[in-house]
Amino acid sequence: MDIILQQLVNGLSLGSVYGLIAIGYTMVYGIIGMINFAHGDVYMVSAYITAVAIALLSFFGIESFPVIIFGTLIFTIFVTGVYGWVIERIAYRPLRGSSRLSILISAIGMSLILQNYVQLSQGAKQQGVPTLLSGAIRFDIGDGFVQITYMKLFILFASFIGMAALTYIIQKTKLGRMCRATQQDPKMASILGINTDKIISTVFVIGATMAALAGVLVTLDYGGFDFYVGFIIGIKAFTAAVLGGIGSLPGAMLGGIILGLSEALFAGLVSSDYKDVFSFSLLVVILIFRPSGLLGKPEVEKV
Amino acid sequence: MSQAATGIDIKKSAIDSVLAGLIALVVFGPIVGLVLDGFAFNAEPKRLFAIVAVVMVGRFLASWFFQSTKGRDFLYKHTSKDEGVHVLAPGHKSKLKWIIPLTILIAFAVPFIASKYVLTVVILGLIYVLLGLGLNIVVGLAGLLDLGFVGFYAIGAYGLALGYEHLGLGFWSMLPIAAIVAAIFGAILGFPVLRMHGDYLAIVTLGFGEIIRLVLTNWTDLTHGPNGMNAPLPTFFGLEFKRRASEGHVPFHEFFGLSYSSAYKYIFIYLVLLLVVLGVLYVKKRLTQMPIGRAWEALREDEIACRSLGLNHVLVKLSAFMIGASTGGLAGVFFATYQGFVNPSSFTFFESALILAIVVLGGMGSTLGVVIAAFVLTVAPELLREFADYRVLAFGILMVLMMIWKPRGLVRMTRIGVSAREGNVK
Amino acid sequence: MSNAVVRKTLVSLAIAGAVTTAQADVVIGVAGPHTGAYAAFGAQLWNGASAAAKAINDAGGINGEMIKLIKADDACEPKQAVSVANRLVDSDEAVAVVGHFCSSSSIPASNIYEEAGVLQVTPASTAPGLTDRGLPNVFRVCGRDDQQGDVAATYIVDVLGAKKVAVIHDKDTYGKGLADAMKSSLNAYGVKEVLYEGLTRGEKDFNALVTKIRSVDADVVYFGGLHSEAGPLVRQMREQGLTAKFMSGDGITSYEFVSVAGSPKYVDGVLMTFGADPTSYAEGKAVVKEFRDSGIEPEGYVMYSYAAMQVVAEALQNTDLDPVKASDWLHANKVETVMGTKAFDEKGDLLVSDYVMYEWDKNGTYNMLGM
Repeated sequence: MDIILQQLVNGLSLGSVYGLIAIGYTMVYGIIGMINFAHGDVYMVSAYITAVAIALLSFFGIESFPVIIFGTLIFTIFVTGVYGWVIERIAYRPLRGSSRLSILISAIGMSLILQNYVQLSQGAKQQGVPTLLSGAIRFDIGDGFVQITYMKLFILFASFIGMAALTYIIQKTKLGRMCRATQQDPKMASILGINTDKIISTVFVIGATMAALAGVLVTLDYGGFDFYVGFIIGIKAFTAAVLGGIGSLPGAMLGGIILGLSEALFAGLVSSDYKDVFSFSLLVVILIFRPSGLLGKPEVEKV
Repeated sequence: MSQAATGIDIKKSAIDSVLAGLIALVVFGPIVGLVLDGFAFNAEPKRLFAIVAVVMVGRFLASWFFQSTKGRDFLYKHTSKDEGVHVLAPGHKSKLKWIIPLTILIAFAVPFIASKYVLTVVILGLIYVLLGLGLNIVVGLAGLLDLGFVGFYAIGAYGLALGYEHLGLGFWSMLPIAAIVAAIFGAILGFPVLRMHGDYLAIVTLGFGEIIRLVLTNWTDLTHGPNGMNAPLPTFFGLEFKRRASEGHVPFHEFFGLSYSSAYKYIFIYLVLLLVVLGVLYVKKRLTQMPIGRAWEALREDEIACRSLGLNHVLVKLSAFMIGASTGGLAGVFFATYQGFVNPSSFTFFESALILAIVVLGGMGSTLGVVIAAFVLTVAPELLREFADYRVLAFGILMVLMMIWKPRGLVRMTRIGVSAREGNVK
Repeated sequence: MSNAVVRKTLVSLAIAGAVTTAQADVVIGVAGPHTGAYAAFGAQLWNGASAAAKAINDAGGINGEMIKLIKADDACEPKQAVSVANRLVDSDEAVAVVGHFCSSSSIPASNIYEEAGVLQVTPASTAPGLTDRGLPNVFRVCGRDDQQGDVAATYIVDVLGAKKVAVIHDKDTYGKGLADAMKSSLNAYGVKEVLYEGLTRGEKDFNALVTKIRSVDADVVYFGGLHSEAGPLVRQMREQGLTAKFMSGDGITSYEFVSVAGSPKYVDGVLMTFGADPTSYAEGKAVVKEFRDSGIEPEGYVMYSYAAMQVVAEALQNTDLDPVKASDWLHANKVETVMGTKAFDEKGDLLVSDYVMYEWDKNGTYNMLGM
């Protein structure tokens, strides 16, 4: 019993991370219909920036946890946002209007560039951040116990806040309306006076900031990272985005949590060797019955 | 050209340059300027400022250039779209007819003039040509985005190794079997994904590729997992290419009274591979002119229209998947025999991306383009070895630049047009 | 990599680049993952080999001929290993190779070296499969996984007296090979593992696996793999309140293990098997000091790589630069290295395995344990 509960906690925290990164995929896909393969590497860059920020803050003698975490969050989100903007400007905007596949290849190239640029400048070694928040809550259940670290609780809390803020921006603000309009019909939106280029840039920046949020949280939780860390988590997050229905914000979060839970439960109850096989099979099965993902709108084919 | 005539605004260039410098400072500052060392960091201001300076100067020059007439022409040329299939005039005869026989002639001469190292790089290039041709049918012609093509490649390569170890089959028997098995897997993948479109298809195929790799890694009883398996060399009418042949066999060099050289086996693999590539090229050329090839392309352009015209979309899609997959399987067999060893780390997602890059870079659907791009993308990393640590970075930059420079690929798909038949009706 | 290392590597690269191939040079390849996820180990190999080559050249070279090193990058991918091996033997005309790092690269590459009659001495590939195929030209100056696994199993049974052992591996040639070797030794001593699972290299979240380890109530967790996964694994074990002993092999021999884990407190008490401290040999004292003076910590495989280069040079020196004869010579003779005297058996493995147990302490360093 306690083991199952612990696995649910594991899956939930892993899934919320997948969900945060999946948002970047889903938003970019929704607006320009491209798979941004460099997104996982943006997350990786944000992990490095997190470590640099923490090192900088401790260099200036700042010790208190709230100051460090807020300083790191603001710094990382800002710098990673700029990364998102620059990547769009350099690698994707010149290809606006080309086939989606060309942009995909450009994105794969960008992903290689980011990985190797970070490796060359930071050295090809494993990096880490010091443990800022340790300790855990322990619930005793019968003979066993369920242990949740404070950091995990913080991840759940922060990703909830991040999601809520993003949903508010997309649903309630003028910027969000412009994003949605561009997503539905870019040509019409530009006729109505929306600067679609700017909106697309903004979407990339928003995607990058969500990846940065995940980057800070995950880096603080797991401690270790390297320049290769974006690859696997990027593929998982993309899977989550598709599972939930690509283009849908709640879908990305739902897909992430389903993926996280299925991985944790399968690894815990059956075998961790085949957990990824199980996740991908689950994806295939769901897509067979719901070809547009769980919360995606079914594609209407017009002749 | 005088500045007044072109209206270059130095002030604008300067502002652009300063802005770019500021952004470069934010982007490169934390990563290039501060190097993590354990939980502390070392400052590296010198290289940071060098990079920022390069960006500023570069932006200034670019801004200057794009304001000049030449620059505007350049921009215009690269924003204009040249979409679709390039149709040549009816009865068009290529002036470069002699190029194809010449290339084939040179290709056959390569092993006798090139060094062994060059030969191995060329073999790898040809393997990627095969892969590119296979994926080109699926992506370029049928328009089905497949990100898991590496799965079929793995099936071919492991087919050879498994057939050798468990069934005692050699290269020659496994070559057709692997192609057939890969085609069957193509069909298995094809069925469930028939309903899916575009990018849903992409992720499912990606998942398929990953599943194949994970099963190969984890099923240790069958595949020895990550330790990999040995793959046999091809034989020349029963003659082996080893220094010392196994029992009951004669080594190639002893039979012909030559002194032993490891180059023979590469020459032989190369020649067989070249014949297979030429065969596939021929078959593909015929296929694209046959109804099935036309149907692939029609389906790519408009699925609904095709179905309403009575085209069996299931058959068309499946045939594309199966033919593409079997080509991938062939490439896998050659890869395994060339390397003499297979293990799952050769079949990662990156490999799929590379094959897709070959197809897109070559120009979707264009056979010549695929051949060129396959060589560019396999030879480039080898040439870039001179850059040592900067090799993969340069490769990534090359990919982005090539896409910006030629978004439709190197060679556009061309078709000779048809004209109405002349003559009177009697 | 510290700055000094980067600078030193750049300088040596520039030197290596500037020297054109004069026919008289002895070309030796240093093959390993100089790029990619394992580039840190490639740097260790290069640092060790280039320092040894420099020392040998300063002392007059091999029979008066200067060693010229070629940096050969395989990124730990078999495909690239084959290609780079062909390049080394063919274009660069190398007579010997120090490397590769990953066993999965060393094995396919060794076939090419054997055909070309090139001497291969690996400082780091420990998979038994490398030398078990009986190639005459392949040597290693490190131990074998089965020797290492046996040391670990003996320690678990005799010293720790553990009954419940969970065996985890990273599904890679090295990690799984080591875990399997440990497991079969363990079974031979009559202890059956309670859990045998693989994790995926490159992931960082192993919480589900950790909970599973908790559910089988293991006393000892043995991990076959590298520090990049060992760090998060041990940290997540401690975070979930699991106090079982954590033991691993020479793949976690890097101080980066501490920073990946996030704090020295997580690695406190972690056990690992590794060759007797490579910096502790009397013969190597001067070299160790030289490394530290130039800002390089001789950790991990740096000294192994140094020793491998010495083995290559010694063998070539005694056989007039004929790599085929050098292989035969090595099977018959002993070599003095910075890691003591090395002698090889008919397979090319070391005659004496020197694996011992180390323990990480709360300051984030590792110390040899008296057995």
